[in-house]
Amino acid sequence: MNFQDLILKLSEFWASQGCLLQQPLDLEVGAGTSHPETFLRVLGPQHWSVAYVQPSRRPDDGRFGENPNRLFKHHQLQVVLKPAPDEIQQIYLDSLEACGIDPRQHDIRFEEDNWESPTLGAWGIGWQVLLDSLEITQFTYFQQVGGLDLAPISVEITYGLERIAMFLQRVDNVYDLQWAPGVTYRDVRWRDEVEQSKYAFAQIAQPVEEFARLHRELFDRHFEFGGTLLKSGLVLPALEQCLKCSHLFNLLDSSGGIGVTERTAYILRVRQLAVAIARAYVWAEQPAEKET
Amino acid sequence: MDRELLLEIGCEEIPASWLPPAVAQLADRLEKRLAEQRLEIPSPIETFGTPRRLTGRIARLAERQTDLEEVLMGPAVSAAFGADGTPTQAALGFARKQGADIHALERVETPKGTYLAYRRHQRGKATSDVLPDALAGVLRDLSFPKQMHWDAWLDDGRGELLFGRPIRWLLFLYGGRVVPFTIKRTDLALSAQVQEVRTAAVTYGHRFLATTGRSGRAIKVRTFDEYRAKLAESFVLLDRNERHDKIARELDAHARRLGGRVGTGGSAQSALLQEVPDLVEYPSVVAGTFAPEFLELPEEVLATTMIHHQHFFPVFNPEGRLLPAFLAVTNTQPDNARVIARNCERVLTARLRDARFFWDADRKVPLATRVQQLETVLVHKALGTYRAKAERVAALARWIAAEAVGRPEAADQAEAAGRLAKADLTTEMVREFTQLQGTMGGIYAREEGQSEAVWRAIYHHYLPAGVEQDAPPARQELGPAAIVWAAVALADKLDTVCGLFGAGERPTGTRDPLGVRRQAHGILKILTDLPELTGIDRALALNELINRTGAGLDPDQRRALDQFLRERLRYLFEVRGYAYDELNAVLGPADGRGAALRPFSPLDIRRRLEALRQVRGSADFEALAVAFKRVKNLAKELKDGPTRTLGRLTEPAEVALIGEFEARGAQIRHALAAGDYAQAFRAASGFRPAVDRFFTDVFVMVDDAALRTQRLTLVWRLHELLLELADISEIVPRTES
Repeated sequence: MNFQDLILKLSEFWASQGCLLQQPLDLEVGAGTSHPETFLRVLGPQHWSVAYVQPSRRPDDGRFGENPNRLFKHHQLQVVLKPAPDEIQQIYLDSLEACGIDPRQHDIRFEEDNWESPTLGAWGIGWQVLLDSLEITQFTYFQQVGGLDLAPISVEITYGLERIAMFLQRVDNVYDLQWAPGVTYRDVRWRDEVEQSKYAFAQIAQPVEEFARLHRELFDRHFEFGGTLLKSGLVLPALEQCLKCSHLFNLLDSSGGIGVTERTAYILRVRQLAVAIARAYVWAEQPAEKET
Repeated sequence: MDRELLLEIGCEEIPASWLPPAVAQLADRLEKRLAEQRLEIPSPIETFGTPRRLTGRIARLAERQTDLEEVLMGPAVSAAFGADGTPTQAALGFARKQGADIHALERVETPKGTYLAYRRHQRGKATSDVLPDALAGVLRDLSFPKQMHWDAWLDDGRGELLFGRPIRWLLFLYGGRVVPFTIKRTDLALSAQVQEVRTAAVTYGHRFLATTGRSGRAIKVRTFDEYRAKLAESFVLLDRNERHDKIARELDAHARRLGGRVGTGGSAQSALLQEVPDLVEYPSVVAGTFAPEFLELPEEVLATTMIHHQHFFPVFNPEGRLLPAFLAVTNTQPDNARVIARNCERVLTARLRDARFFWDADRKVPLATRVQQLETVLVHKALGTYRAKAERVAALARWIAAEAVGRPEAADQAEAAGRLAKADLTTEMVREFTQLQGTMGGIYAREEGQSEAVWRAIYHHYLPAGVEQDAPPARQELGPAAIVWAAVALADKLDTVCGLFGAGERPTGTRDPLGVRRQAHGILKILTDLPELTGIDRALALNELINRTGAGLDPDQRRALDQFLRERLRYLFEVRGYAYDELNAVLGPADGRGAALRPFSPLDIRRRLEALRQVRGSADFEALAVAFKRVKNLAKELKDGPTRTLGRLTEPAEVALIGEFEARGAQIRHALAAGDYAQAFRAASGFRPAVDRFFTDVFVMVDDAALRTQRLTLVWRLHELLLELADISEIVPRTES
């Protein structure tokens, strides 16, 4: 099964389970959780089920197109179900079968792995799903997002698409994956990986100090503007500014432009904005609960 | 008649480390909740657990609650009857309220007089009627290290039900019949796909495997035997021991086929063998290999990759060297072994390739350069960077080696190892395998050509992690590095513990996020066992070591630190089997009251405790301990200060005691100076006849103030003398003779 067929199969499966098929967030994010379809929709009482692919950027994992497993940008298929169905583990396993993975032929396990995102003020309880000891999915029952307790509880299922495709295609190098008939992952992604890695590690025609200064400045401006948007009651645009900050912080981190001391301070600032956004979103949804 | 109770709480996968305690808790809570319902349990409570179920079984449980008999008090008899013996309104009213005839009331004697009373007999309810309340109690009681919200609640007035993982089914049978019970779901969640969980007579087998029919279907059961048998047919081994033994057997067989064995000595491997039975319902072992070229990686890296990251068992050849092979415990049947093994090999190979990349990259930057890079790594916001810490630890380790233990020849190495100890924090390998910190630093130092004393000291400097006498490292592992290691391990931990106390980060209750207790245990263990660990027989004083850290503690912080270390030292000796009264005598009472020993040296305290142990059995010593309580109390009466002479003490018992005091006092002081505490305690025990005689023949608290003061002075001197040894008044005699 090639890479795009895998995406189609999983999308089809979850659509048949009643999920809305959404599109990726058109911004730089580290994971599908940052998408408002997850970050905001899991707040408040409305039931909501959604699935989408999210290209996810992890500057620190950039390897200049040389590492067979690590990528600056990988693809997640993100499923969020609110509330979490009782049969969700079985439904998830059915989705693997739909991709041609017969659980009776393999060793599939749910091993404890609780997820936490300090910048989003979010955490959950769950597992990593291991397929013959390969981690293919993060399975999480969200408990808090944006510092707010959730009710009802949502489940987030995050498939690592490259890993699953490599397993299905039996290749040991991600760049050897068939993306589509006659087109490899290398053809599609390699150049971007090389160039983005150089950017992530500040290997550009600019001194490192200047690179850091620029990104700090950008961070500050987006942070400030996010606050302004929030004051104006514009929650979704404010979230976009918050995500910009988060990505800039990741770049500062990977390029070594940030000391450990400052690191915590940056995480706290992003979190502070994320928490304020989550609160504003919930209040706007349910003005009656504002006083409680 | 007694009938069988069977409970199964069907869950989504419970984390392996939670399972054994949860199974133990279930037995405990079932017993408590059933007892609370006045249900007699004539047979033992058996509990079991797999990742997807917690099971409790009681072969025989009483069919009814025991009856309840209550005595309800009415009016006093004096107020219950008139002069003519006719019942008053008070008595009649009480009888009416209880629905009893006035003649059926009893008379009960109480300290306040005789009262009318009604004895009510309440017949016990049927067990099946009270079991739901017991189950609610048990579900409430079970607690997990992390509780989760899953939109569930119970109708017991306490609302939301948190649990370790969502509960998906409940099997609850008494005498083969379902006991009705429901876990409700919140209105916000309730929907076609989110439903109440109701008890039923069904269980579920292995997720993917079944001998007949489709896996995952409901299996009807009536009794525990049937339940257990049907689970076994459905690829669930209920008994953890059975899973453990199957794993151990298969590991052994596979390892032999590979021409090696699974190491059992390593603590990481035995921990893994303890963990895997709780990760699977039906274990089978598969064997895989990896390319021999990866054997050039340090063994520690290979083992950590396999054990910690993949839960694989490494295999060793008869000489104890790693083979390029591994064993994986899977949750399936062996039919698929080959495919699964090949997939596991691919995952491991990818990890090893990463590790080799780190190994090659890390060695390009010398540790000395890495120390400079520590400038950006923060220890703690109040303690500055690891760069600064490296200098502090280097200086302190140097001082400990040269001055405290008196080995100036080891000073340079101690300083060097102290400076480099944390350099590996900047390596890729330690970023990826955090549990290898220290170990990797040691290995990289060895690769750089540092001396054995230096690299081994770095390698082990996070140890010791336990307080037991045999907690690692062993002397042989340290080899020629023993002294340098002790200096660096002490310096590192002293710097952290003292620094954190200065920053107000002291552990409280169960909260110790920075692991200060563990580090304190390391300090105390080294100091207590210094001769065994290093061959140096010196009782180092903690005060001096603390002062040397330069942590700049204010008096409050210093008091808190002293108190904390004293508590931890007490814990160390408790673990080693010393009784509380022995610890009270030598260390001062647990609550911190009473006299603390002035030079606070763990090795010195150990020696006193060992000596105390030797004399404690003797009748003389135990009797002296009793007498010493009187000595201690009387010594407090000496309000005017001691007299210089004892000229008026002329009674034979007084003269005898003074004589003993002079002779034995010299012996005791001599023995103390020589550090021979056994001799000192023996000499002290010899006081017993003279002290007994003194207390029998002499009345101390006479009216004659001058005489009284002299007698008290003698008692006080005795008290002061023995206190140099230990406060033996704390010793509780074990024999009454």
